[in-house]
Amino acid sequence: MGVALGLALVLASCGDGKSSGSGGGSGSKSEVIAIAADPLEYINPLNENGSPGIQVAMAMFAPLVTTDPETGKLQNVMADSVTPDKTSQTWTIKLKAGNTFQNGQPLTAKDYVDSWNMTAMGSNAWKNNGFFSKVDGYDALNPPTPDGATPKPTAVKALSGLKQIDDLTFSVKLKVPFSQFGLTLQYLGLAPLPEEVRKNPDAYKRKPIGNGPFKLAADWNAGDDIKLAKWDGYKGPLVPQADEITYRFIPNADTAYNEFLAGNVDFVDVPPTKVKSFKTDAPDQWVTSISSGANYLVIPAWDARFKNPKLRHAFSMAIDRKAFADLVGLSEPAKGLVAPDMAGYRDNACKYCDFDAAKAKQLLQEAGGFSGPVNINYNTSSATGQIFAEAIGNMLRQNLGLTVKYTGKQGSEIGELADSRKLDGLRFSGWGHDYPSIEDYLTPMFKSNGDANFAGYANPALDAVLAKGDAEPDPEKAIKLYQQAEDIALEDMPLIPLYTKSNAYLHSAKIEPRVSKFVGVSALWATFK
Amino acid sequence: MIRFVLRRALAAVPIGVLVTLGVFALVFAMPGDPLRELAGDKPIPAAVLAAKRAQYHLDDPFIVQYLLSMKDILTGHFGTTFAGADIADQLRLRIPVTLKLTLLANAVQWTLGLFFGIYAGFKRNGWVDRSLLLATLVLLAVPGLVAYFAAQYLFGVELKWFPVSGVLEGFPHAYLLPALVIGVLGFAGLARLLRTSIVETVNADFVKTARAKGLGEQRVLWRHILPNALLPVVTFIGLDLAGMFGGAIITESIFNLPGLGQFMFQAIKLKEGGVVVLLSTLAFISFILINLLIDLLYGVLDPRVRNV
Repeated sequence: MGVALGLALVLASCGDGKSSGSGGGSGSKSEVIAIAADPLEYINPLNENGSPGIQVAMAMFAPLVTTDPETGKLQNVMADSVTPDKTSQTWTIKLKAGNTFQNGQPLTAKDYVDSWNMTAMGSNAWKNNGFFSKVDGYDALNPPTPDGATPKPTAVKALSGLKQIDDLTFSVKLKVPFSQFGLTLQYLGLAPLPEEVRKNPDAYKRKPIGNGPFKLAADWNAGDDIKLAKWDGYKGPLVPQADEITYRFIPNADTAYNEFLAGNVDFVDVPPTKVKSFKTDAPDQWVTSISSGANYLVIPAWDARFKNPKLRHAFSMAIDRKAFADLVGLSEPAKGLVAPDMAGYRDNACKYCDFDAAKAKQLLQEAGGFSGPVNINYNTSSATGQIFAEAIGNMLRQNLGLTVKYTGKQGSEIGELADSRKLDGLRFSGWGHDYPSIEDYLTPMFKSNGDANFAGYANPALDAVLAKGDAEPDPEKAIKLYQQAEDIALEDMPLIPLYTKSNAYLHSAKIEPRVSKFVGVSALWATFK
Repeated sequence: MIRFVLRRALAAVPIGVLVTLGVFALVFAMPGDPLRELAGDKPIPAAVLAAKRAQYHLDDPFIVQYLLSMKDILTGHFGTTFAGADIADQLRLRIPVTLKLTLLANAVQWTLGLFFGIYAGFKRNGWVDRSLLLATLVLLAVPGLVAYFAAQYLFGVELKWFPVSGVLEGFPHAYLLPALVIGVLGFAGLARLLRTSIVETVNADFVKTARAKGLGEQRVLWRHILPNALLPVVTFIGLDLAGMFGGAIITESIFNLPGLGQFMFQAIKLKEGGVVVLLSTLAFISFILINLLIDLLYGVLDPRVRNV
């Protein structure tokens, strides 16, 4: 179903595939974590935004700040303080003294500034380049490139907004005020690289030098598992218990699951095919957590037939979310547009999300009905795409008396059509946050030209409220403003909220994964029995 | 004979161009943008997109992309995959895995196929023959996917006779279970073919002549019937073997064997035309070579079709 959830899920529920095993009293605490993905080809957090890569990088690199799994509050890791100015436009980051890289070099402000400049340079084509688009001077490093041309390194090598103040202090000046910037710093894709790696990143593709709790325990060649050993130089906070971690890549998720049942791995994601059986397959060895993401139906702003908000509300109220969530499995009906584990989530946000066929019909009538069949697009590379599309289609047909048709296409093709405003009808999509703030739902999903604004929706009133929230230094007040934005979005309803999903994981008897309602399940921080 | 080999090699060149061009066109025609597939729904910054497009020639017209890919293949500059893997390294790792799997699987398949085929052919309508027919029907009806997972669960997870997946335990142990399953699922066809071929040969005139001139039953069997009955089987085996560089996509995925099949699958998923064409070229070359060998072997078995 083309769910976006890239980084966000990793940050939020890093439990995607970390486990720990061994135990047995006196021996070292070691764990084998299965990752159901193709093997990694390099480890470089700055050039990585996929879940498996960030997950492994999380063991080897440490972020500036992180979310405390107990309280949900922001906690310093490499940073000693992160301080905005009065307008939240310039942020000063002071590092703790005494931290080093795994090669013994001290970790300094220069390492951050230089690593970030490298990433912001468009011609390097590193995947986290986009993060720095908020920083002053980004455009100078990313000039427009004519079609077909290779971007050249620019004469300017550094972001004008990035300034080293002393050995341990640097400042970031943003293009516009942004009160949530401190939260974004917990993204692991901002981890620093030491000077020797920066000089020749390709030479260190398979021998990363991190600053986090684990380092490579053995040579890592193509096709090998990634074997990590505890690195004593990491001073915390949140030092994992494990002494050794092995990441094993098993691209077929059902095979990974069988490896767990055979006792060969200590931690594995439950694949969609096993959602119904995992509790009996591995009694007392499973954990679940709500996954930080929102799943919804996208209504195209470019199709005038869907323009009337009453019609959108009619569609929304014609959907029996409870039944649909049961069909999806491990899911709950959505009650708003943001994930339920966010500060600022309201479980009564959506006034049009209760199933009420009579009301829906009435709203449709008031909106003047709908002409022609409703087309529902689904992703053919998803095993469940068609099933979900038909479930929604049947509800619209039965409860609103509409005719429905279905179109199956590859996810990337649906995305392309939507981007060029040519997609006909509804599609499924989803979004997961990159940093835990409701702002990271509302801005990408609803701001005009937002990164995940799949509906092509634009409302100046909503943009204005978001900008106010971005400029509001007081976190409580900022949340209130963002909630206003959510209310506007629910009235206009460019997206119909559907469900929030839980993730399930299996763990061996010797470990207990860390489960946090704020950051999900993690085997990297498992407790050994 | 050298002229024959040369002629075949020359004829292979235009076929190779057609095959690679066709495969490349198919990948090119697949809907969706490869870089978008790689990124999921995450937006990609324009500069990053432009750099990647240029690196993989994605902005060039179809025929230019094809020629650039062929040039890379012919000059041995394989480059990296979209995901950043060194393709030459991948081939070094993956070719042995696929070879080990397919050779072992074929060994199982041929052993079972020849044994049961010959036995059933000579003892027609005996219980082995009848069970073979039944087994053929049953085995051909079992979808590979189901058989692989069932075998993995039974022998790997429950009984622990074999590793569940992966190549950590090395050859042959890590390859035994998948090879056995492929072999058992595949031997029935070979056995049936051989049986029929033997039955036909047994009734041929030259066999009657051999018997009439008083040759012993064993000599008739091994010198007169079998060499002639084996001809269609050699073709069958040859085609089987020639396909091995295609890799066993489903088996490799389920048993997590990092061979060419999984590589092909990833490449198709991401629309990596260059990699798909490279792997197709490999498969094509092995197909041509093995077919050539089979044709030469034919001459040894049957002088009537000798090409010298």
